[in-house]
Amino acid sequence: MGEYLLEVQDLKTYFTVKAGKVRAVDGVSFAIKPGEKLGVVGESGCGKSVTALSIMRLLPQPPGEIAGGSVLFEEQDLVDLPESAMRKIRGGKIGMIFQDPMTCLNPTMTVGKQIAEALRIHLKLSKDEAQKRAISLLDQVGIPAAAERINSYPHQFSGGMRQRVMIAIALACNPKLLIADEPTTALDVTVQAQILELINGVCSEFGTAVIIITHDLGVVAGMTDRVVVMYAGKVVEMAPTNELFANPRHPYTLGLLDSVPRLDEQRHSELRTIEGAPPDLLKPPPGCPFMPRCTFARSICRTMPPLDSLVGNAAHRKACWVDVTDPQEQAYAEKRRQNRIEKVFARMNAQSGSTQSALEEK
Amino acid sequence: MDIPGQLNVTTSEEEVEPILELTPELVQKRRSQARIIFDRFIRNRAALLGAAFLILMFLFCFLGPTVSGHIQPDVIHPADASQAPSLKYPFGTDYIGRDQFARAMAGGQVSLLVGLSSMLMAIVFGIGIGSMAGYFGGLADNILMRLTDVVLAVPLYLLLFVLSASYSDGSVTSVVFLIAIFGWTYTARLVRGEFLALKEREYVLAARTIGAGHFRIMFRHVLPNAAGPIIVSATLLVGANIILESVLSYFGFGLHPPSSSWGNMISDGQPLFDVSPWLVFAPGMLIFSTVLSFNLVGDGLRDALDPYMTER
Repeated sequence: MGEYLLEVQDLKTYFTVKAGKVRAVDGVSFAIKPGEKLGVVGESGCGKSVTALSIMRLLPQPPGEIAGGSVLFEEQDLVDLPESAMRKIRGGKIGMIFQDPMTCLNPTMTVGKQIAEALRIHLKLSKDEAQKRAISLLDQVGIPAAAERINSYPHQFSGGMRQRVMIAIALACNPKLLIADEPTTALDVTVQAQILELINGVCSEFGTAVIIITHDLGVVAGMTDRVVVMYAGKVVEMAPTNELFANPRHPYTLGLLDSVPRLDEQRHSELRTIEGAPPDLLKPPPGCPFMPRCTFARSICRTMPPLDSLVGNAAHRKACWVDVTDPQEQAYAEKRRQNRIEKVFARMNAQSGSTQSALEEK
Repeated sequence: MDIPGQLNVTTSEEEVEPILELTPELVQKRRSQARIIFDRFIRNRAALLGAAFLILMFLFCFLGPTVSGHIQPDVIHPADASQAPSLKYPFGTDYIGRDQFARAMAGGQVSLLVGLSSMLMAIVFGIGIGSMAGYFGGLADNILMRLTDVVLAVPLYLLLFVLSASYSDGSVTSVVFLIAIFGWTYTARLVRGEFLALKEREYVLAARTIGAGHFRIMFRHVLPNAAGPIIVSATLLVGANIILESVLSYFGFGLHPPSSSWGNMISDGQPLFDVSPWLVFAPGMLIFSTVLSFNLVGDGLRDALDPYMTER
């Protein structure tokens, strides 16, 4: 205890819908040290954003609820905290930025007022002090002529500038932790790098820990210390960033890495896709959620593997029964992959054949 | 909202000038929100006419008496009783010789004040109820909206007559309250609808992530974004309230003498319609044109504030 700023333990967040309970987050555990930069990756709908909203306790709350687990922040469990105490933590201790800066700023308030708002709520600054602080913050996030620009409205800013403003708002009260939920997804590629650099720079300067949620492996590679890979509401692999990229141990992580073009390595000449789609979280498979799509899958995968540390490397943990570095397993997986591809081709040929014969009949 | 001055701040004058000259339509686009709305409103002829007429009407009612010298609405001139409109008495006189021109202006002050202040009360109350219902939803929404439905279900005029007979003392304040008690329902529904839609916006979530409380989110973040429809409904409500006040006064349940309003004047003049039709026509036309103007302005504002309106 005490070593970690935030410790998420066995967090379960369910959404109640007519058909039953959607297990959006199902037993997620991870921790982050002060000043550390943690990446959370996974494809759409695997519970990344819900995890973030659960930490902030901002789930839309008839359908969503935290069904179990704990979120220890500075040794306080945020899950049972009363709403008024939670409000002090939001913005004061934990800042958050969202995906789409176009819709996250209030169109009827000047940018300066929106930055000053957090300062006035948490630090109880006077109007003038908050204004001064807002100018310096806007300057720090790299907006030129900050003193004039604080009187502008959001529609007078470009997307990248708005995201800078969001960062200024989130960091206004010098929080211990910044949660960035896909901060660059809605931005132009050229602006993405600038924004990431800014988050990186400002957080290092302030000593803020960052949880960066993304589906872009490039983002994680560039700026995080550690990575958590999520799939279907569960953590499947967790490792220091360099280790994860050099030595991925979960078939899902392997699949993710193989589906992205890499300039540094020539492991495969082709880009591989992960066949299929994520499971329905209303009725998740009893064992490993990735099993239906996994080429390494075996019968033991019908029970959920524990998230165990690798031998000799405690920081690297994976939830998989199979040792993906074993050449025998690799050969087996390769064969299964080829089989699947052949099946797909056969189906395509059958279809095109039938259309061709249909054409000939005419 | 003064934006044009800020445009050249980041770059030097020489760099910006030629670009702006090349693209005049771009320069036009760099207007503030308020300026855009104002420009759109100005372009709507009917609304502009209504606004001009309303300004004239306010001047007429509040400055008219001192300028024209018709400052004695209640003084009786027995010698000049029942006179048709003339230069001395532009709106004629009634059967006891009161100056109808002076009375029209004095009555107009009352009518406009009643219309405006009951609108303000109704809007404030409607925003209170509507924003609570829309923002909190669930049980609060159910209780407040059923209450609103109950008020809407009551036959308005009957209840007003009864309430007025038992509680009102015929003073301006009591009539304002009487009208406002029932005027808030439509505003409440409108505000609730706006809040229901706006509270799902991402900037509301963003406001929650910086730890803003419910009150701050409701009135600093959501309400300003609902301002357009509320302003429109407020404008239309003034016209409706003037009519309502006239109706009440006409039936004798509104203002009691000596205070006069346009509704009172019509009711006083009606028995004498055959001999002195001007007693009814003058206040009738004033009510008609004022309410029409308020409605035109309301419609104009609706169009001007609608962000999806394309510029013509």
